[in-house]
Amino acid sequence: MYLNKQGNPGAETADVVVIDDELSICEGCYQTLEADGYQATTAHDGRRGLELIETMHPKVVVVDLKMPGITGMEVLAEVSKIDPTIVSIVITGYGSVDSAVESMKIGAFDYLTKPFGPERLLESVKRGMMLNEERRAAAQLPVAPEAGEAAEGPALDQQTVALRSLELLGQYYSLGLDKRDFLGELTHLEAEARFHAETLGRIREREKTLHDVLENLRVTDEVIALYGYEKSAVLQVMLEVQRRLNWLPRHVLKWISRRLKVSLGRLYTIANFYEALSLEPSGAHLIEICTGTACHVRGATRLNTTVSALLGIQPGQTDSDMIFTLKNVHCLGCCALAPVMKIGEQYYSKPTMKELEGIFDSLRREKQNHATVEVA
Amino acid sequence: MPRLKSPDDLRELKQKLNRECDPRRTCVTICSGTGCIACHSQNVVAEFQREIAEKGLKGKVSLRRTGCYGLCERGPIVVILPERICYLGTKAEDVSEIVTETLIKGRYVDRLLYEDLETGQRIVRLDDIPFYKNQERLLLEANSLVDPKKIEDYIAIGGYSALAKALFEMNAEDVIEEIDKAKLRGRGGGGFPTGKKWRTTRDVPDEPKYVIVNADEGDPGAYMDRSVLEGNPHSVLEGLVIGAYAIGSQKGHIYVRQEYPLAVENTEIAIRQAEEYGLIGKDILGSGFSFTVDIQRGAGAFVSGESSALMSAIEGKVGEPKPKYVHTAVRGLWDKPTCLNNVETFANVPLIINNGSDWYNKIGTDNSKGTKIFSLVGKVNNTGLVEIPMGMTLRKIVYDIGGGVPKGKKFKAVQTGGPSGGVLPESMLDTPVDFDRLEKAGSMMGSGGMIVMDEETCMVDTARYYTDFLAHESCGKCVPCREGLRQMLRILDNITSGKGREGDIELLEELSEFLQEAALCALGSTAPNPVLSTITHFRDEYEAHIRDKCCPAGVCKELIAYQIDADTCIGCGTCAKSCPVDAISEIDDEKSVYVIDQGKCIKCGNCIDACPPKVKAVKKISASVLLESAG
Repeated sequence: MYLNKQGNPGAETADVVVIDDELSICEGCYQTLEADGYQATTAHDGRRGLELIETMHPKVVVVDLKMPGITGMEVLAEVSKIDPTIVSIVITGYGSVDSAVESMKIGAFDYLTKPFGPERLLESVKRGMMLNEERRAAAQLPVAPEAGEAAEGPALDQQTVALRSLELLGQYYSLGLDKRDFLGELTHLEAEARFHAETLGRIREREKTLHDVLENLRVTDEVIALYGYEKSAVLQVMLEVQRRLNWLPRHVLKWISRRLKVSLGRLYTIANFYEALSLEPSGAHLIEICTGTACHVRGATRLNTTVSALLGIQPGQTDSDMIFTLKNVHCLGCCALAPVMKIGEQYYSKPTMKELEGIFDSLRREKQNHATVEVA
Repeated sequence: MPRLKSPDDLRELKQKLNRECDPRRTCVTICSGTGCIACHSQNVVAEFQREIAEKGLKGKVSLRRTGCYGLCERGPIVVILPERICYLGTKAEDVSEIVTETLIKGRYVDRLLYEDLETGQRIVRLDDIPFYKNQERLLLEANSLVDPKKIEDYIAIGGYSALAKALFEMNAEDVIEEIDKAKLRGRGGGGFPTGKKWRTTRDVPDEPKYVIVNADEGDPGAYMDRSVLEGNPHSVLEGLVIGAYAIGSQKGHIYVRQEYPLAVENTEIAIRQAEEYGLIGKDILGSGFSFTVDIQRGAGAFVSGESSALMSAIEGKVGEPKPKYVHTAVRGLWDKPTCLNNVETFANVPLIINNGSDWYNKIGTDNSKGTKIFSLVGKVNNTGLVEIPMGMTLRKIVYDIGGGVPKGKKFKAVQTGGPSGGVLPESMLDTPVDFDRLEKAGSMMGSGGMIVMDEETCMVDTARYYTDFLAHESCGKCVPCREGLRQMLRILDNITSGKGREGDIELLEELSEFLQEAALCALGSTAPNPVLSTITHFRDEYEAHIRDKCCPAGVCKELIAYQIDADTCIGCGTCAKSCPVDAISEIDDEKSVYVIDQGKCIKCGNCIDACPPKVKAVKKISASVLLESAG
């Protein structure tokens, strides 16, 4: 039972100290933790909180960052002086990621974004308890086994990863993403970072994806600015983004939707309507075969059949190595050269089977060489 | 560059440019249209630059990249002025010889000259080549005189003088009157009188008004607008500004297909240069009239070329047509009065303003004045862009300009009007080409695609091709078009794959009538034209497909098969090398011969071309024959 006052009369020790100026949060945390078998105590300001920590030596401290008087940051700094084995978890308000990043830099182990559910709290505290045990065990050892190993213990790794992802999200945030969306993204990333910290490779991939996402959004922003944030320029914006990225990923469409205040539904309608826009990633080389009347009469069907057979893909498909995407287009306007094939900016008039093989081989080699260089 | 503040400034600039450039000086012009660029004309340009510098001709010979010359299949085209020596199919490795022989010694490089198809004689001058001799190149001529990326070239040949004339010597009403009297009709396909359209837009008491250049050339097999916009964008801009002045508009859009990157690029450059000279923008030439224009790229949808659809696209919506209870001239872009004209229509305007409607009326027929540019393509010897006076017969275009059907094959039909048009058989070749007579003959002028078909073109397949195209491009908004075309396509698919039934032809006719009556926009109501006209003129081909399961032209894949004649095969194996699916293998049966595995064959037809002409062992046969011989 929560007594609506600070401290826990009668108890001399506590596993968890919760410090928050919002009484409702304190009450919620207290009840959740007690119900799960922890001994908890609460404080409504930083000064009282520190007193409790000093007297009760808890294993875990849950502290709000934004409080009148002594702030959460200051509490954090003090806690590590009092007892470095105590694990701190911070509570942050809406999307103040930057401060979350800061807090983790000065030693916070995890953070909870308001509003958070009981499961989230318990889960974090549980891991905090485990880390505390590890820390205590390490502190009792007479000599640290190996400096390198200690520095790269699992907890630290986890923290580095979470930090790195957070910093990325900070950048993401600085682009002005809506806060609610951002929260969703953040929660998702948290979960990811927590459960897969040991598989750093996967996280790196995610980081790369995030980097790509960021890059795509930057490109999109550039294009939107180029067209003066005009709502009516939406088709032009989509065309230009398509030209630069080769396709229109979902996050880009969402971004355009938000920036130009055009519904996502309409963007999808437009993307589906126009031939030139693609919702699927395409290969490194776009092969366009003209199916205009002049080309049709002069054997575009044969060209199509031959190219399809050579590449093993049908029009509209991309090969498994992501090198070629085959597309049929209605008239490239080179009717006198029919039948016409276009790869990138280069037009080919009446290519023979032998020429086609040569062209595809050299493009494949180019891609392989490129890949080798990247690996090296 | 200095801003031109009056018509006098423009005149002075022109005189200055003319003084600087001696017309008698040798100038090598190299076509830099998309067709020639595709044939690597840029390499030819680079090589000329190098050779001219190396052989000390700098200052004596100038070099110019021009717009499309028209004879695209024979590119890259090099024309040497002032004599107008025309070299075709010029490669970078030919340049050194041209410089030494022609530029220095004054001799011709025979093998690069045009060879007359019948006499085998070489023709030196561009204007003597039959392809050019029979044309009347009012619009296209300028393509060869200007570098589209240099506004000065256009000003030097009198460009923007029509604009100056309109702004300072005529009022808006005079301009419309002149266009009206010239009987200029829209070149996009409809043939609506341009003057009337301008006046309607002008008379609507609503502001602002918009003008739009329609360069969303969606007709498959047509590229006139592309070449005009690429080769001489200023002529379109000049016509546009004159139109805007007449209508009372201050804002224009040019809607170009994104498949035409060079047209977009050249138009962008042209707009920028015209703005710098004060020919577009605020207070044009000091007249007080202001006008701005921007470029919008279309994203590859045929139906977006329709006026109301195009306006929706500019507004940032999906480019689908709207029912036109009120004409777009009254309520168009952003619900304001909007005048939309085709590229070629606008390009005609400066000519009419400069030379007067009387001059213009001397060219063409009663109700169709001036010239029309066609893209003469398909099974014809000289393929490319041709500009002819209205009223020339189809025969003259196909045979005199186009040089007839290649490889001695028999002419079958010519198709005009794109997917909304029809095919005209040999018996109708003497039809004069103008708006009304083509329509009377069962086809239409369209935007200018003219596709020649020979005996190896299947007319049922052609109808299927257009129906497939239209079914794909139908926006799906109205039921007759969406469902009607789908059903027609299904029937045609059946016929071309040997599953046709008696009564199919009648069913097609019935559906066609239904579409003509009930579709919402012109795409749907004209969609049956290719089907109807092929049925009218080539009903026997339909019947052969349905009754005999045979494609007389040997096109429909399901109805043909390829076979190697064991007696004539010499076992060289070139066919096997040309097969993309390895369906051809060697068997030893007394002598080495090759056979096609019919199960693997995808009927691409590469083997028939690969087989040496002396041998001709690969044969195209009717699939039913193969079945009979097998069974």
